[in-house]
Amino acid sequence: MIETRKLTKCYGAFSAVDGIDLKIKPGEIYGFLGPNGAGKTSTIMMLLGVIRPTSGEITLFGERYRPGRLDLRRRIGVVPENHPKGVWTWMTAFEYLKMFADLFAVKDAGPRIDFLLEQVGLREVRNKKISEFSRGMLQKLSITRALLHDPDILFLDEPISGLDPIGIKQVRDLIMSENREGRTIFISSHLLSEMEKICHRVAIIFQGRLMAEDRMEFLLSKLAQDREIQVDLESLPAELPEQMASLPFVLGTASMDNTLVVKVPKEGDFRKEISAFMIKLNLVPLRIQESSLSLEEAFVTITNKNIEMFADLGGHHES
Amino acid sequence: MKRVLVAALALLTTASLFADVPVRREEFIYSILAYNGRDYSGTFCREESDTIYLIADVDNFITTRKTFVYFWPITGDYKTDTSSLNEPQEGSLELFSRGQETQTENLSPMKYTYYNVRGEYELNWKVAKGEEAGQVWEHYSALVDAYWESLAAYQQEKMIYEMLLSELTKKIGELRQAGQDMSAVVEKLKSLEPPPEPKQPSEYIVPPVPVQQAFIINLPEGEYRIRFLNPDGSVMEGTEKKLVTFARKRSEGIAFEVIPGDRWTRPVESNTASSVLYVDGSSDLYLRPFFQLEFNDLFYEKMRKNDSLGNPNLYKWARIQQVPGAGIELTLPGRQATLVREEPFYVEQTQGSALGYQIVPFDPQGSHMGREPSLRAFHVPLEADTRSVSVRARDRQGTVLEGSSRQIRVVRDNRSGILLTLLALLPLAVLLLVRLKRKRVYGAP
Amino acid sequence: MNHRSHATRVLTLRRLQETLLSPGFYVAQVVGLFAGVYLITRFAASVDSSGFNFALDPVYDLIGRSLQGTFGQAFAAKLFSEGPFLFVLYMSFLPVLVYLALSSVFRFGLEKKAGAVELITYGPADGTACLLSYFVKDFLLTLTHLAVLIVFFAVAAALNNLVLGPLFFYSLGLLFFIALAVYAYGMLTTVLAPGNPASALAVFIGLLVFFLILMLGSFTVVSGYVRSLAATLAWIVQWFSPAYYWSLGFRAMETGNLPFFLLTVLLLSILTAAILTASHLIIKTRGVKA
Repeated sequence: MIETRKLTKCYGAFSAVDGIDLKIKPGEIYGFLGPNGAGKTSTIMMLLGVIRPTSGEITLFGERYRPGRLDLRRRIGVVPENHPKGVWTWMTAFEYLKMFADLFAVKDAGPRIDFLLEQVGLREVRNKKISEFSRGMLQKLSITRALLHDPDILFLDEPISGLDPIGIKQVRDLIMSENREGRTIFISSHLLSEMEKICHRVAIIFQGRLMAEDRMEFLLSKLAQDREIQVDLESLPAELPEQMASLPFVLGTASMDNTLVVKVPKEGDFRKEISAFMIKLNLVPLRIQESSLSLEEAFVTITNKNIEMFADLGGHHES
Repeated sequence: MKRVLVAALALLTTASLFADVPVRREEFIYSILAYNGRDYSGTFCREESDTIYLIADVDNFITTRKTFVYFWPITGDYKTDTSSLNEPQEGSLELFSRGQETQTENLSPMKYTYYNVRGEYELNWKVAKGEEAGQVWEHYSALVDAYWESLAAYQQEKMIYEMLLSELTKKIGELRQAGQDMSAVVEKLKSLEPPPEPKQPSEYIVPPVPVQQAFIINLPEGEYRIRFLNPDGSVMEGTEKKLVTFARKRSEGIAFEVIPGDRWTRPVESNTASSVLYVDGSSDLYLRPFFQLEFNDLFYEKMRKNDSLGNPNLYKWARIQQVPGAGIELTLPGRQATLVREEPFYVEQTQGSALGYQIVPFDPQGSHMGREPSLRAFHVPLEADTRSVSVRARDRQGTVLEGSSRQIRVVRDNRSGILLTLLALLPLAVLLLVRLKRKRVYGAP
Repeated sequence: MNHRSHATRVLTLRRLQETLLSPGFYVAQVVGLFAGVYLITRFAASVDSSGFNFALDPVYDLIGRSLQGTFGQAFAAKLFSEGPFLFVLYMSFLPVLVYLALSSVFRFGLEKKAGAVELITYGPADGTACLLSYFVKDFLLTLTHLAVLIVFFAVAAALNNLVLGPLFFYSLGLLFFIALAVYAYGMLTTVLAPGNPASALAVFIGLLVFFLILMLGSFTVVSGYVRSLAATLAWIVQWFSPAYYWSLGFRAMETGNLPFFLLTVLLLSILTAAILTASHLIIKTRGVKA
């Protein structure tokens, strides 16, 4: 659906984006990750046709894309991070959406608007001025606006930033629902835990260069050096970690309250052996669960950056 | 403290009443006698002024002198004090003209006189130069001398006539007293004719001025430079000036002098074609049509007075002379046009203690015998119900004169302000309606 | 209809709606009309048996002195040759012209800064459509205001036995095209100035004041020194100044020279189109981000 070839953007001598090749396939949820200053925004702006690339190509829906191709923009819906402040404050939600519906020449705009507002739970505030909307309501309104013209691809920039847990779930459900109907979703976000839950494929950009682009599970699997198996017990004997470490396939152990964490090689499934060992020691595991590399950890591995920078955005961190 | 302040204020105010004595500077000036389209008027170009303005293709006269120049704040202009210092400068004028290449010409002072000959048109200005100037002046002087001689002869004859009249009257009286027949004497008295009063020379509207010497400037439209040369050929420093000669822009203009019946000594002018003359209708109007020429505002003002200000991008109409033999066509709405001719009128003072006057048609055979008309004009009556009158001038042949159309409208103060104010508030009413509609639809403004 | 014109139409309608819902435009109209009412009603008081005389009314006396002192007696006489309406037209039109021009500059700058323009351009619209929508909005509202003025002045003329003469109607046309050039300059300053709407406003006002000073330097009765200083600069810059075309148009009007008047209007239209084209090229190159 969207492809880039050696996409580059330079500001003077500085390369914000340096020859990246992206491929966003139809029907997938594509995550675009990168720390601040990585070139994320510049890439997105080029994909949306807001700025011209210094060099490289963008192919959109099989056609060469450049900023003048206003016709192709009809097939894109965009949800920016923030709703513009201080403008359109006189408009009601309906009027706001009607303006964009008219812009996109949406047929039967009225019923379409009402349907979408119903979907996001804003039907009752249809005639309320958007200046009175909360951040969450504005975000939902923004998503509604982006869906008015039934775009083939939806660009979302930090769609759940600033939302409460209910709001996050609502937006997540909406994204998933849209994707189930065949819409391609492009998400840029710092909330890696959320991205991990919903994205089919991710691309990681760092210092203007594309570090990785693959399906989520392949990426995590490729990057994981080993696996961890967590065993929850009723009570954890002190000598158990050492005993477990003696097993030939165990690479390392750690304990956390009543949970034993066993590090094993990436290849092979050792849950049966571990379970058998527990039973031999007259211990009943309450739960045995494999924890693979998180996206956060994968991101850090790739970028080699301290993830504390993401603490205020909701991601967990380890010292 | 208060008293001190008041005293200070009073002193300051008083001090301002004593105008500074103007500072006089001895300067070389160009005295200019310029033709302004109607007559000749004088101005001067002082040292600080860098340009002289003259109408093109007519004779203008420039002399040079040294005099005192000072700024007179009351009228806000510069003046000369020729009574204290007036030194005519001998020399010549060097004129530079720019065409294909710069050309120079040396001008020497020339004798001249100018005069306005009576004819069909009010303005028949003529300039006589050199020898001809002397001849014209001599001719005029001869006319004047002849007039004075005939006047003297007339005085003599009148004296004799009055003496005879007195003698005969006395004789008649004596004869009557004596009861004798006085018919013969009465006959003789009746046959006495007073001597005819000599007429002044009527050849001129403006008689020739005494012959003088000046540099005569008559140049086509353009920009030139002049400077004064001493008799030895050296340039007198500080005398170089730009010389701008300008032509009229349009000449098809008719102005009207508008004389209101209740203020006949203070006429106003209507210059702009198709303009509207608004009056309050309290008195009739008396009009006089004039030819006018259009000139650049700045150039014309500075030609008339070198220190004037003017707008270089505007043109103004300058009144020239009255249209001879004109008629004025008056049209009232819904009525036939009437043609009005110029007529003489007399201003009669109101009798008794009340102040005021009225303008009546001049009656030379009746009540105004032996007098001259107060004014000659075209009468435009304004009735009580007159709202508008259309006016245009026709020449002697009856052709409408271009640029002479005017509308006269009577404006009476009325109470329209209230209605107009209400109308002016309509946009706010529209805003209110819009807001109410929105509130009805959306539940909030 | 192509995408840009469609987007311009949609955005223009919204901007019209926004303007017509807020009080600013109406207040500007009322201010202009009130100025008209006052000047028209005072005109009758300035007329005596010989005609219109500035000195008869204190307000007109002040106006007359100011005009004569600045532009010369000839100009003041021509301005009032048909009655009060030519002068009143300028006074009544000015508040709306100022309001529309300044508000558009400020609003467009605000929208750019807030990212609203960027949001619109994610769709089938570009920056040019956004600035054209402001221009067209001002175009339509100016026409509306001029229509209101014509009706208002016609009523005033009928009530007071005054005349709406040819100079008045020439001026209507001229003012309209001058307003368009001013609005176009507003859009140009918005795309040139940095993202802050206040600075765009300052640049725009500065530009208008510059043109005004240039015009005053050549059209007034100021001293020769000031004129020669302004004249050199003016000769080049005047062709870009709406005020210069006003002075050309005034000359065409007072001579009743229709071809010259139409030429002035054509040149003014070309100027407006050139400014809008420059704005289009700048926004196309720079983008719509503040």
